[in-house]
Amino acid sequence: MAKKLIQVQNVVKTFDKQVVLKGISLDIMENEFVTLLGPSGCGKTTLLRIIAGFLEPTEGQVIMDGEDIANVPAYKRDVNTVFQHYALFPHLDVYDNIAFGLNIKKMPKDIINQKVMRMISLVGLEGFEHRDVTLMSGGQQQRVAIARALVNEPRVLLLDESLSALDKNLRKEMQLELKEIQREVGITFIFVTHDQEEALTMSDKIVVMKDGEIEQIGTPVQIYNEPINEYCARFIGDSNIIDGIMKQDRLVSFDDKDYECVDYGFEKNEPVDIMIRPEDIDIVERNKGLINGEVKSVLFKGVHYEVVAETSSGTSKTVTMHVTGERIVENTEKKEKISAISFSMDIEDVKDMTDSDVIARANAQAWNFDDEDISISKVSYDLKEEAGAYPCTFSTENGTEITITINVVQPKAVEDISNEESIQAFDFYTSVTDIRESVALDTDLIRWADAYAWSMEDQSRVEIWDVKYDFDDETITEGDYPVTFSTQGRELKIETTDRIEEGQRIGLKWNPDDIHVMRKMG
Amino acid sequence: MKSFSKMVYPYVLWAVIMIIMPMLLIVLYAFTVQGNSVLTFQFTLENFARFFSDDVFPIVMWRSLKMAFITTIICILIGYPTAYVIARNKPNKQAIMVLLITLPMWINMLVRTYAWRGILSHMHMSGEIKVYIGMVYNFLPFMILQIYTSLSKIDPALITAANDLGADSFQTFRRVIFPLSLSGIVSGITLVFLPAVSSFFIPKFLGGGRYVLIGNLIEDYFISTGDWNFGSAISLIMAIIILISMYITRRLDRQPAEQEDN
Amino acid sequence: MEQKTSVFQKIWFWLIIAFFYLPIIYVVFFSFNKSKSLTKFTGFSLRWYQRMFESRPILEAIGYTVACAVIATVVSTIVGTITAIGLSKCRRVLRETINQVNNLPMLNPDIVTAIGFMLFFTSLRIQTSFWTMVLAHIAFCIPYVILSVTPKLRSLDPNMPEAAMDLGCTPMQALTKVIVPQIMPGIISGALVAFSMSFDDFVISLFTTGPGVTNISIYVYGNVKRVNPTINALSAILVFVITTILIIVNVVPMIKERRAARNVTASELESSIR
Repeated sequence: MAKKLIQVQNVVKTFDKQVVLKGISLDIMENEFVTLLGPSGCGKTTLLRIIAGFLEPTEGQVIMDGEDIANVPAYKRDVNTVFQHYALFPHLDVYDNIAFGLNIKKMPKDIINQKVMRMISLVGLEGFEHRDVTLMSGGQQQRVAIARALVNEPRVLLLDESLSALDKNLRKEMQLELKEIQREVGITFIFVTHDQEEALTMSDKIVVMKDGEIEQIGTPVQIYNEPINEYCARFIGDSNIIDGIMKQDRLVSFDDKDYECVDYGFEKNEPVDIMIRPEDIDIVERNKGLINGEVKSVLFKGVHYEVVAETSSGTSKTVTMHVTGERIVENTEKKEKISAISFSMDIEDVKDMTDSDVIARANAQAWNFDDEDISISKVSYDLKEEAGAYPCTFSTENGTEITITINVVQPKAVEDISNEESIQAFDFYTSVTDIRESVALDTDLIRWADAYAWSMEDQSRVEIWDVKYDFDDETITEGDYPVTFSTQGRELKIETTDRIEEGQRIGLKWNPDDIHVMRKMG
Repeated sequence: MKSFSKMVYPYVLWAVIMIIMPMLLIVLYAFTVQGNSVLTFQFTLENFARFFSDDVFPIVMWRSLKMAFITTIICILIGYPTAYVIARNKPNKQAIMVLLITLPMWINMLVRTYAWRGILSHMHMSGEIKVYIGMVYNFLPFMILQIYTSLSKIDPALITAANDLGADSFQTFRRVIFPLSLSGIVSGITLVFLPAVSSFFIPKFLGGGRYVLIGNLIEDYFISTGDWNFGSAISLIMAIIILISMYITRRLDRQPAEQEDN
Repeated sequence: MEQKTSVFQKIWFWLIIAFFYLPIIYVVFFSFNKSKSLTKFTGFSLRWYQRMFESRPILEAIGYTVACAVIATVVSTIVGTITAIGLSKCRRVLRETINQVNNLPMLNPDIVTAIGFMLFFTSLRIQTSFWTMVLAHIAFCIPYVILSVTPKLRSLDPNMPEAAMDLGCTPMQALTKVIVPQIMPGIISGALVAFSMSFDDFVISLFTTGPGVTNISIYVYGNVKRVNPTINALSAILVFVITTILIIVNVVPMIKERRAARNVTASELESSIR
């Protein structure tokens, strides 16, 4: 059993009344690679700086080798740090940066030389001794920073987001190299990062932090396979997280269906979070799996495909789109043309309607015979907060005008109780040209139909996820067409190496032990 | 490190004694009459009443302000194109051009103004014009450098973007470059207007002794007449007028930005 | 901004340059005049230089100017640097207050600052002398030093002092071995600004100097009414000295940079060969 090297006990840190660490306790063993993982602002860097001695804890103790070091200044601690942007001294070259700590300790020159050269070869910077550090690449600077810290033979090396400044390939390379260096020098590394992949590849132990508290401590495998809550699950690896209810031991339900699982020890009908890793889901033929779905998107990720399948649909509403011919009024005398389209609107929006809203909704435009745009100078209408059809006239400076109808209607929303969502949209008028000329047709259809959806729980707005229609926007002719707007349904992410087509209907399958049930976060 | 912050304290003491105290003394003198000692003084507005009731003083004040204002305008009109020309060159050439502008600034202002005295003595022009030449000569480099700094900070991509969006070179200048260089003009104005108002050796050297500005008045009351209280009052009035005009100038810089926000 | 400049633009620029250099050339030119005239050149002579070096007031003025500038530069650079470092680490409220106070002498007209000092010294019954002038110079130079050191401190990696202490430095060592070497360019430019401000100062010196103590500016001011080509000779020497210093200050770094750039490319080549 390894010896405890550092014990962090009930450490609290406050800055100007703001509590950054809320009583952290953590044991760090000798020769261990520990990663503090969490998003920015979770307190991981503060904890590191307390261990380094740059900050004093407001409460609690930091014990190293049985001694409380909370009040020992940084320069007397057996701990060295690799800083986020390396903090290399730009006025010194590579050699002098690495020799800095030994020079401060006034070691004999020949010993300094020996130790520095050994470090330079450990990090693979032979031949770069007298380079200007400011002219080196990120990876090289990183190596200098590591060598500068390790040459002092600390018992603990602290690394503060040390790989974040590197590009992706170099970062992967440095991950392996860091682990290698740690094995070689045989000391404890404490590594701070927000990157879960770094944490998984390098660590012996991962400490997941959130809002100044530790959420979970464990090996990479433990944290990946058995995250204790939604937060840890989302932070480590890709995952499908679904709201569910624990019916009884080893039986969980979501989307009105029950599934076998291996978890137990929950209350009867306790609301829980369910996690299924994308790589644990298998694609099978329709009706041969536990659940059916339709493939929404397929992304090639190098080795595998990431497939998103919809297993239950969202809330939707279908409206009628009246496609009319172009209605253009021509004023040959003034050589002007004007066009506009009738539209429907919500009775509740009447009071907030402005002239520019009306122009936009009616898509009113005017232009002259040379095809130059002319501004619409006058909009006249008289809307009442009462359902009905109202005339509206647009005119230009020169008196070219067009009249359309505004239908004020009492909207009928579609409510979906199981999704707790409502969606609303209007029948609308548009022209063949407008559809053909639309740059982003889905967005325009949503705007023309004034479609929107909201959550029945808290009235917050829900995005319209999908617009369905079966006309071809290039060849459309006058007539009525159905258009369906819907919100996002239940979607599951699946990793597969099989080639799957978008729109394909499939079945999905997993084993009971692939379902991981977690307590709701309090 | 927190412990470094203690290094400020000696200067805090110094600043109170050597910066704030002198300023307070000017205010104190301006509101008292001659003969009071520091410990026994009497509050009075007499000095200010004297300033504004006199025929000469307000006129001199007005003349100084007008002179400084016109000098500033001339400096903008000459300085802007100059800074613009510099900014259009290659970076290493820009450095040399800026160096050429800054070199004369290192030579004593009095010496350079003295030199103008010799040159202008050949020419038949009014003292006023000579003073203008001296002022513009002394303060123009500040304006050029300020405007140049703001121009050189403009991201070249913005100009490319403006061209891409269809702006011709004049439109690019008017809608992108000029608004972005406004801050340089404003700080240039501060650096020109301020010393121009209070300048007193330029009119003395070049104005032939007949052209008196507010700075000359202050100097007279302190050095020759020895009426420090009245001299302090004049300085205070000048300082307040300058403060107000600086405040207005800074507003000029901020306003367009606010309009864009709306 | 980079674009081709037209001929017109080039002419404009050189006209402005001519405007700036004309009086300097003029003053140097007439310093070699045989006669006392400042308008008619009657022949080459060095008599005004000789006269100048024989003039006790001028030599004294030069001595006072240099001594004052040196003392003011040294003191204000040290105090300014220490203060700037402290300001970079202290509480915001204090930092902003100090910055506002420092703005006072920089934004006030010289003459207001000058009479402030004068009133201050007399109120404390301090007899004005060379040393009151030096004190005043130190006071108005410090804000400029702080102003030129602060940006260097701000561009420093905020972890610098921590990195030094992490490697075993005491806070004092962190200061002298890590922070000061890195902000050196700012300190040097602050010192240069302080020196030139003090060296060229006229208004503040006029009001704070004691009887019999005259610097170059005050001497020029006092003797301008009489036609006096020794001033031309003095000016010419100043122009010469300052130009030499400026050329050294500006050209030496350029050469160094070029050499450094060459070295880097050489070693890059070397390592790429290996």
